[in-house]
Amino acid sequence: MRIETCYFCSSRIYPGHGIQFVRNDCKIFRFCRSKCHAAFKKKKNPRKTKWTKAYRKTAGKDLAIDPSFEFEKRRHVPVKYNRQLWEKTIEAMKKVEEIRQRRSNNHIMQRLRKGREVEWQRDVREVQRDISLIRSPAAGLKQRQAEEETEMEVEPETIQVIDAKGRKQVIEAPVMVPATGEMIEDCGDIEL
Amino acid sequence: MSLYNFKKIAVVPTAKDFIDIILSKTQRKTPTVVHKHYKITRIRAFYIRKVKFTQQNFHDRLSRIIQEFPKLDDVHPFYADLMNVLYDKDHYKLGLGQLNTARHLIDNVAKDYVRLLKYGDSLYRCKQLKRAALGRMATIMKRQAANLTYLEQVRQHLARLPSIDPYTRTIIICGFPNVGKSSFINKITRADVEVQPYAFTTKSLYVGHTDYKYLRWQVIDTPGILDHPLEERNVIEMQAVTALAHLRAAVLYFIDPSEQCGHSIEEQISLFESIKPLFSNKPLIVVLNKVDVVRPEELTEPKRQLIEELEQACAQGNVVNADSNSELRTVPVMRMSTLTDEGVQEVKIEACERLLGHRVTEKMRSKKVDGILNRLHVAVPAARDARARPPVLPPAAARRLQQRAERLARKRKLEREIELEQGDDYVLDLQKNYTEIPEEERYDPIPEFWEGHNIADYIDPDIFDKLAELEKEEELRIAGGMYAVPKIELDETMREIKDLARQIRNKKAILKDESRLTKQSTKPVMPRTSRARAKGRSASQLRDQMEKLGVDMSESETAHFTRTRSRSRSLSAPASKRARTSSASRSVSRPPRDTQGVKDVAMQRKAKNLAHVAIAKKTKKMGLKGEADRFIGTKMPKHLFAGKRGVGKTDRR
Repeated sequence: MRIETCYFCSSRIYPGHGIQFVRNDCKIFRFCRSKCHAAFKKKKNPRKTKWTKAYRKTAGKDLAIDPSFEFEKRRHVPVKYNRQLWEKTIEAMKKVEEIRQRRSNNHIMQRLRKGREVEWQRDVREVQRDISLIRSPAAGLKQRQAEEETEMEVEPETIQVIDAKGRKQVIEAPVMVPATGEMIEDCGDIEL
Repeated sequence: MSLYNFKKIAVVPTAKDFIDIILSKTQRKTPTVVHKHYKITRIRAFYIRKVKFTQQNFHDRLSRIIQEFPKLDDVHPFYADLMNVLYDKDHYKLGLGQLNTARHLIDNVAKDYVRLLKYGDSLYRCKQLKRAALGRMATIMKRQAANLTYLEQVRQHLARLPSIDPYTRTIIICGFPNVGKSSFINKITRADVEVQPYAFTTKSLYVGHTDYKYLRWQVIDTPGILDHPLEERNVIEMQAVTALAHLRAAVLYFIDPSEQCGHSIEEQISLFESIKPLFSNKPLIVVLNKVDVVRPEELTEPKRQLIEELEQACAQGNVVNADSNSELRTVPVMRMSTLTDEGVQEVKIEACERLLGHRVTEKMRSKKVDGILNRLHVAVPAARDARARPPVLPPAAARRLQQRAERLARKRKLEREIELEQGDDYVLDLQKNYTEIPEEERYDPIPEFWEGHNIADYIDPDIFDKLAELEKEEELRIAGGMYAVPKIELDETMREIKDLARQIRNKKAILKDESRLTKQSTKPVMPRTSRARAKGRSASQLRDQMEKLGVDMSESETAHFTRTRSRSRSLSAPASKRARTSSASRSVSRPPRDTQGVKDVAMQRKAKNLAHVAIAKKTKKMGLKGEADRFIGTKMPKHLFAGKRGVGKTDRR
């Protein structure tokens, strides 16, 4: 008895399940369920079908190349039974499995973490473009004017900035004003 | 006609049936209607036809019978003799001869009466003549009744005769009654001859077929023969004698030394002596049957003596007259038991071999041999020199052959034998043959799966080294912090930006929902050109909105937006009508929307171009309908598709 793998989705086929197709060139295709079998008959490429393991590996979504995968290999020469060997092998198997799981999970998490940078970029762009929906340019104007009157002697500096639309503009350097409590909410540390 | 198969003879009907058949045939197959007033020639022809028809049929049928019965001179003398024995040649010939005469008589009767009918002058006379003719023919047949019944019986018996081919290889078994001839034939062939303890169980010849050296052999079982002179033999014995006399076959003479057949050995040997002439020029074997009852060696003195004498005589070759073939001089005496199968095959093989040898020798002597010999040629390679080159077996091949022989000789106890020995408490235990695996481990159930993995895929001699390497590497990785979850601390600005972005997204979602709701509503909509309703825009609302956007509106009581036209106008002042003329000449009309908010003509042109390009790009890319494409607003305007015509039809619109 052997647990086979489905040709299409690479899932495990337990004894008594699935369909086996033998082609005229003696290649055997095993399918775990009719979904995979039907897809095969429709000549779908498993490497392009999003939900299969083959796609995930070729697209780099799952860990594909790793020394921990080389332990499980189909052997053509059976080995004679030896109790000690079998027991030790089962223990080794468990350890290998643990390591492999850890590594594949790590791979996936690394991949997902890159999304965070994307998110931050998106937030920055959004704020740059649509800040006017929540803050009017006149917000805090009165206060600024009041302070300017007090610091009139200071020369306003000019700096060159690129605004949200990508145009270069020369404006006065903004005066650094410490933010007041009401405007910005304190979120605290975010654990990501 | 040399038929060995007499099954195809037509049935001989009884006299009564014969007459009935022919007469009813006449009635059916000839015209039946004749009247007094017909022409006399017609009447005569009618009755002549009937007479002739009846005669014809009698003649044909009788001829057929006579022809189909075998002529004793034409068949093989064996069959002729057999039929003579069974049916008496004279009686048989007489019977057929009488049928022949009857036929002749019927023809004469018909001839006479036809001659008379030619001169019949009335219907009545013709009819009577015809009646007389048919009556006479019928009487002739009635007289043959006994003959016909005899011939029918002969025919039935003939059909049941065994089909013996007198020319092929045959073995005849003869001897006293009850010596075991039928048992022997039952043993070597598929014939199922009755075997019973009383004498004359077998009453006729039986044929069986057996195979030897890829050839078919006939084995003929005969009824037992008693020892008395030929004249006193009855029909049953005569059949056996006929077979012996006419068939060129190997003869097996059976003797029963145990005397269970009811006849002593002396009687059997004397019979043997008396029918010796029948064995001339035939390969003979004397068979001592029933050795399981008593062995010839264990017999009492006088009997044993007789047997020994017979054996000596046979060995010396004084027994059989075989001057044509010296090989036939020595007669083997074989021992056999049909009950225990001891010696049965040996007897058969010996008989077959002897007969084959005899037939070959006979063929060699005949003229046909040359034709066969001319076609045979044995090629022998010419010797190159005087050196002898015997066949050589290389040592490896010799060893291999020896090993093969040893392997065949070596006997291992089969599992089946163990099963039979142990009976009910036998348990099939295949693991006992796993001799390379130590005892304690032999009966382990071997695990195959774990968590969806095949254990067999992991079995590897180097698995432990590889695992050690892997674990080392894993430890390094863990130490290096590869698996550590990075803690991300955002600085203040990023946190600010995140929060603002969140608020913006919320606001956008709200705007989207509101716009979707307003678009979904089916309420009637005021046209654009009408002024915005005063209720929709109020100073307090403006103040709220601006506060939400973060503007400080605390000191805005006297701002401009509070002084709207409606508010600035005091309630005491009466409403003054606007001067119509002034409004008309002043032209307070709104500018068209494409010039509203646009600075100057150059800008206007630019904007127009932009708008055009935007639409054109889309239509070009997506193949949408453009301004130049035909556009039909209503496909079915009612005035064209409804109503009756004044003059003309409405089937086409």
